[in-house]
Amino acid sequence: MPKIPSIKLEPGMKLAKPVIAKNGMVILGEGTELNETWIERIRDMEIASVFIDGPPIQTIPKEDALASLDERFALVFDKPCMKIIKQYVKEHIERLYEQT
Amino acid sequence: MSKLDPTILRHKVENINALPTVPGVFKRLSGLIENPRITIDEISAFISNDPALTTKVLKMINSAIYGFPGRIASVSHATMLLGLNVIKGLSLGVSVFELMQKTMSGLYVHSLACAIASRVIAQKKGLKEPEEVSIAGLLHDLGKVILILEFPKEYEAAMNEAQLKKTSIFEAEKNQFNVTHAYVGSWLAEKWRFPRSLIEVIKCHHRPALAKNVPMEAAIVHFADLLVRARGVGFAGDNFVPEVNTAAFEILNLSETDIRDVLRELEENVESAGDIS
Repeated sequence: MPKIPSIKLEPGMKLAKPVIAKNGMVILGEGTELNETWIERIRDMEIASVFIDGPPIQTIPKEDALASLDERFALVFDKPCMKIIKQYVKEHIERLYEQT
Repeated sequence: MSKLDPTILRHKVENINALPTVPGVFKRLSGLIENPRITIDEISAFISNDPALTTKVLKMINSAIYGFPGRIASVSHATMLLGLNVIKGLSLGVSVFELMQKTMSGLYVHSLACAIASRVIAQKKGLKEPEEVSIAGLLHDLGKVILILEFPKEYEAAMNEAQLKKTSIFEAEKNQFNVTHAYVGSWLAEKWRFPRSLIEVIKCHHRPALAKNVPMEAAIVHFADLLVRARGVGFAGDNFVPEVNTAAFEILNLSETDIRDVLRELEENVESAGDIS
């Protein structure tokens, strides 16, 4: 469930977590589908960001993500069991980019 | 530089209350918890009487770290459901998170992710108290915070060494201090009167083969830590994935699906679980 800044909200997005006012009151429940009015209300209340239903959003290019993975495994890639662990993580990362 | 005498080191570690930068809430909580005569009710009351602490603890309990379907609305309910050790662990964790961020940026997210991963793996292995393993996951690196606070220059040197020599922070700590954050964390866990099992898991999370009483739990936190580092979530002192302990990996006997599930839960929930402040 990605955290989206209020400026980037669009109608149709569904809340993954309730929007709660500073005093603790629930303004919009979990699962609410946002429309223009709600989005404006959220911005008026100066709420910085909300959690939206959906796959996690990737902020870095896939090549960078995979290159970082290689770097992290640099000391152990050839050690027992590490190859397969790395493979699982690699496939997980690749799947994330397929979703968007 | 000469290595510090372990007795002096331990004495300093246990005297966290003497450190000026440690938050007051944490100090009071620590003082309460280490007192053998304090009851569950008194600890529960202490937390309930602090609105900020209560909010943070309940937020954590209702977050992905535990994955409870319902909503837990009070500390007493939480204590009844999860037990004293979990509540102690969560309270300590949330009251120290800002300090964690200041001493090592990224450590808190790493710890949260470990808590989540530990809980998921513990559930997959059918453990009766996955929440307790989750607490070990949350607190396993607390030793680093104390080492940094007490010995900032030495820890900075250790981190530089890890980066230059391309070794783990664990190895660099051994060179600088003779003890590692795992041992320091276990001293803290003893001070806070956590059960032997939790103390052992924290002590052995890098060397799970040494966990004589709780090999499965130690293997879980060992692997959770590794998986979180493999995915690159947060930062724990170095950017390298450690080598898995093969015996621990064998006891865990996780399938590809199991590991995929853990990674998926991490991906979906770390950011929202980290929304604790």
